[in-house]
Amino acid sequence: MKITRIFIKKLVTAATKTRPDEIGCDDCFEQLHEFAEMKLEGKSPEEAMPLVEDHLKRCGECREEYEALLEALKNTQAFSE
Amino acid sequence: MNSMLNWFKRRLKGEASYETNEEWIEALTEPVDERAVEQLRGKLIRGLKPALHKYVDRELEQFVEDVAQDALLKILDNIESFRGDSKLITWAMKIAVREGLTELRRKKYDDSSIEDFKYPDEEGRNELTSLTFATDLPDPGETAHEQMMLKRVLRIINNDLTDKQKKAIHALMIRGHSVTIVAEQMNTNRNALYKLVHDARMRIKNKLELEGIDPDELFNKM
Repeated sequence: MKITRIFIKKLVTAATKTRPDEIGCDDCFEQLHEFAEMKLEGKSPEEAMPLVEDHLKRCGECREEYEALLEALKNTQAFSE
Repeated sequence: MNSMLNWFKRRLKGEASYETNEEWIEALTEPVDERAVEQLRGKLIRGLKPALHKYVDRELEQFVEDVAQDALLKILDNIESFRGDSKLITWAMKIAVREGLTELRRKKYDDSSIEDFKYPDEEGRNELTSLTFATDLPDPGETAHEQMMLKRVLRIINNDLTDKQKKAIHALMIRGHSVTIVAEQMNTNRNALYKLVHDARMRIKNKLELEGIDPDELFNKM
């Protein structure tokens, strides 16, 4: 069963990278505007907010929202200069 | 004080412009200044269009206007929770972007007409839709050792995870459904679903360690 092998590989990879202190989507969303703004200002939110960075790497939907947020903000006056 | 001064200046000029967070918060708090709402709507629409255009194949204009409207209601409802830790537009845009992408995920799911993804009880169609992940379907290409390793991992999944965790993992990792949709189908929310799967990952990790299964060895064989 090829699909079972692929699935197990995916699941075991995800499992072994699991951290006990991961934050969930709500905590990530709570801080996402700060994280995005720091990024657009050329600061390092990855260092300042490592748990948000970690969540964005793990959670496809939060990452998709973050990337769309950056794109949206680049097109508003506040960040376009 | 500056905010009040700016407000008087604008009033004298007869124009509405909101620059500081304090000005925005004041204007978006009851009694709401409609001019501020309209300005914010314009900004949201201007940001949403380029951010969402790759997901929307038609009627982008109408879609982002609807999203902006729904987002504005949420923004006004939650303005008191804005802590001022970014520009207000950043916080507001975050809400609008999530609103838009959540709607798109729902649409995508509705359009896909997936038949065999119904909760809580539709299982047993084959080994992949069952709560029990099959452990006795060997691939002719697998060695005895590979089969044994696979079975051990599958046994951990079957014995150590809850039914809910298995359902979630199945829907997300095998069927590839979005977290938003799986959460709705399981009558939960994204955050709780993430925690559920996180706990499952932790359990698997701990069990692998306990049983002395080395993931690197496992993958080298696969």
